[in-house]
Amino acid sequence: MGTAPAQLFPEFLVDTFGLPGVLGEVVAALIAAAVVGNIVLAFTGVAGPWAKRKITAAFTDRIAVNRVGPFGLLIIPAAAVQLLAKELIVPEGVDRPSWDIAPVILPASALLGFSVIPMGRLGPINFHLADPEVGFALVFAFASIASVSLVMAGYASNNKYSLLGGLRAVAQNLAYEIPLIVTAMSVVIFAGTLQMSGIVGAQTTTLVTIAGIDIPAWYAFVNPFAFVLFVTANMAEVGRNPFDIPEAPTEIVGGYQTEYSSAYFVLFYLGEFVHIFLGGAIVAVTFLGGASGPGPESIGFIWFVVKIWGFFLFTQWARAAMPRVRIDQLIEIGWKGMLVLSFANLVLTAVIVGVIA
Amino acid sequence: MSLERPDTTDDAAIERTPDELEALLGDLVVKRDDHLNAPGFVIRPDTVQETLSILKEQAGYDHLSVVSAQEYENRYESIYHLKKFDDPTQEVSVVVPADKDDPVSESAEPVFRTADWHEREAYDLIGIEYDDHPDLRRILLPETWQGHPLSMDYDKDRPQIATLPEHANPLQEHYKDSESDTMFLNIGPHHPATHGVLHLKTVLDGEQVVDVEPDIGYLHRCEEQMAQAGTYRHQIMPYPDRWDYISAGLLNEWAYARAAEDLAEIEVPEYAQVIRTMGAEMCRIAAHMLALATFALDVNGDFTATFMYAINDRERVQDLLEDLTGQRLMFNYFRLGGVVWDLPEPREEFFSKTRDFLDQLPESVEEYHNLVTSNEIFQMRTIDTGVLPPDVAKDYGATGPVARGSGVDYDLRRDDPYGYYDELDWDVVTEEGCDNFSRLLVRMREVEESAKIIEQCVDLLEDWPEDERNIQANVPRTLRPDDDAEIYRAVEGAKGELGIYIRSDGTDKPGRFKIRSPCFSNLQTLPEMANGEYIPDVIAALGSLDIVLGEVDR
Repeated sequence: MGTAPAQLFPEFLVDTFGLPGVLGEVVAALIAAAVVGNIVLAFTGVAGPWAKRKITAAFTDRIAVNRVGPFGLLIIPAAAVQLLAKELIVPEGVDRPSWDIAPVILPASALLGFSVIPMGRLGPINFHLADPEVGFALVFAFASIASVSLVMAGYASNNKYSLLGGLRAVAQNLAYEIPLIVTAMSVVIFAGTLQMSGIVGAQTTTLVTIAGIDIPAWYAFVNPFAFVLFVTANMAEVGRNPFDIPEAPTEIVGGYQTEYSSAYFVLFYLGEFVHIFLGGAIVAVTFLGGASGPGPESIGFIWFVVKIWGFFLFTQWARAAMPRVRIDQLIEIGWKGMLVLSFANLVLTAVIVGVIA
Repeated sequence: MSLERPDTTDDAAIERTPDELEALLGDLVVKRDDHLNAPGFVIRPDTVQETLSILKEQAGYDHLSVVSAQEYENRYESIYHLKKFDDPTQEVSVVVPADKDDPVSESAEPVFRTADWHEREAYDLIGIEYDDHPDLRRILLPETWQGHPLSMDYDKDRPQIATLPEHANPLQEHYKDSESDTMFLNIGPHHPATHGVLHLKTVLDGEQVVDVEPDIGYLHRCEEQMAQAGTYRHQIMPYPDRWDYISAGLLNEWAYARAAEDLAEIEVPEYAQVIRTMGAEMCRIAAHMLALATFALDVNGDFTATFMYAINDRERVQDLLEDLTGQRLMFNYFRLGGVVWDLPEPREEFFSKTRDFLDQLPESVEEYHNLVTSNEIFQMRTIDTGVLPPDVAKDYGATGPVARGSGVDYDLRRDDPYGYYDELDWDVVTEEGCDNFSRLLVRMREVEESAKIIEQCVDLLEDWPEDERNIQANVPRTLRPDDDAEIYRAVEGAKGELGIYIRSDGTDKPGRFKIRSPCFSNLQTLPEMANGEYIPDVIAALGSLDIVLGEVDR
């Protein structure tokens, strides 16, 4: 295959509607960003009140929401109204305004990450907002802003459980961000570029053909070891079981989000889900060929959605089945295990690529 | 008569006659005051430690089961009920009268650590003060309470004010000096992992626990006093269901039934004993399933498959119990002298339902082993955390799966047989690990043993001749046991040794009704397990103790 870089979403808008000049570009960019942002938020809207319950129920032999609308789907608007109608309780002694800013930063940082994710085509539209040369580095930068939010929330809440949660979040992110990025670097060595479209493009070739079926050169197939490492580190990065220790409901109640209610709580919840989807998107782009899949390129977006929902499903599976590790064990796994393995992977990849190429 | 015994513990296991014990104690014994279950020795209130250490070290009475205190017209009295872990049928009661005007008695805490909480409770409810006690505060009632509710001059109409001061911050003084940097954390009374309303005053150094102190009493419902206000025959039996309310109802009812039946000399028909045994073991399975479920919840930390699967299995037992007793939680099925009604008709249907449950149980247990015990992360979390060495467990009077998880081979069903247990073929489960993992493993293996017992009971009941199905002995409508008869009897509840002490006063209601709750003693070991561990391990240790606050606080 190997196609020329596709037209980005804002450019498509400019061309289609003939928007003139710089102003036109700005308007197009805003519209495109709003569309992509709303798609992602719609995912979380479905995931939070409905899909998560249904998935957990399936894992635990239950039925879950089924009374409100078909398949219980109307629980989504019901939950939205319910959550927003709740009183926003502001505890005494919280450190404002950082207490108010924290719940905004979390979803914002995760949404920002989507600005450089190539989400594939649906018909004529290519859901890709920007394709800077350092896109791959940017997405990790955006994703890691999240821990700032967690620390802010933990510290500003003036609650000991929140503080513990915030501290845990920092410790965890430090321990897992490094292996995550080091592992990602091995992919960069393969692809030879930091540009998102380049990384996706490098995975479109055929790796082997078995019984007439072309196995694409997705990096998950090229380097399964790095894939496993990356997914594991990513689980910790997005704070899901078995690494959900910044929240750890049975230990530190809710961690950094203990004191948040109503709209702020929704923002945190939303942020976490967007973060999971961003994690899924990063995994998809880095290791699963981005939007590629069987069928024409114009339905790539659907494949992409399938992949990030697949990652979401995986996190929920882990949540239902896996015990949580202890904080010291988590740090130990991060620094003594993952970091060493990820560097080994990097060096090995560099050597192999160097020898072959 | 052997007056001089050598000062060794080698002969600790030897059973001594009451006279030999009296000789061993020598001048310490003021007089004899035998109870129905054990010889009783009255001693002076300032010789408690001396007496108890002789009994512990030289006669092998290493289990202080309970301290029951009460007030008489002319004196206060604390009774130390001692047993042996090796043979709980060897019992002795040490009766310590205290002066009516100045009820002071020496504390047994330096000899038995478990006396700490038991004496605090006696102080709280009766008003006896214990000399040399390390920390004599109220335990069940608020600090500000006026009067002692089970004492004779207690004024029930007096208004009580339980103040709610902002929590005193113990960061001062001994927790904070220039070197250390600790944080005080209230875990509970409302916390996802406290299994009810338990308050843990925790001092943390970073994430590590420096000190933890359980604060109980939030669920104190005056169960002892309510039992004292009820008649033996009918009015007490519904209460035990409400102690350990995690569907262990029949096990609790049996504790009362055993004590009262022995007190009133009631023979229970064999057929009723088999039904009791079967029902009790069903309750044990239900209780252990919930213990597994909540423990998985504590360690996994989120809503998990294990939790729901175990609840699912518990539900099946619950259905069987509902068929048997007509109730799902508060069974009220036992009566003094038997049970309230026979097995549900048609019997075949009940038997086949029970057998279906027993048939699928091994599969479920296998699934739990796959999901939980063989999971590496789970093992990482639970093995070698919350360690409770056997001697510490004994010192604190820990019983049940907690003691057996520490390798203490102690199970009243075998060691002090009642019901139909000694006719059946089953094993006492012990694990040597002493950690959270062992305690869970003990419970999971006990479920299988319980299933064995139920299966044998079903076999027996199926073949029981129709004209011999006697579910109830002849018991007088009103029971009036002899005046001043005293008895302490225990059964193996879901959480351990559940004992009842009753003193009759010649009326149809008990003069004193004291509950020995296994959870109360087990919970006392928490600081031993938790200190120096991480917060998640404290939560896991608490989960592995499997406490029910309804039973701790009574």
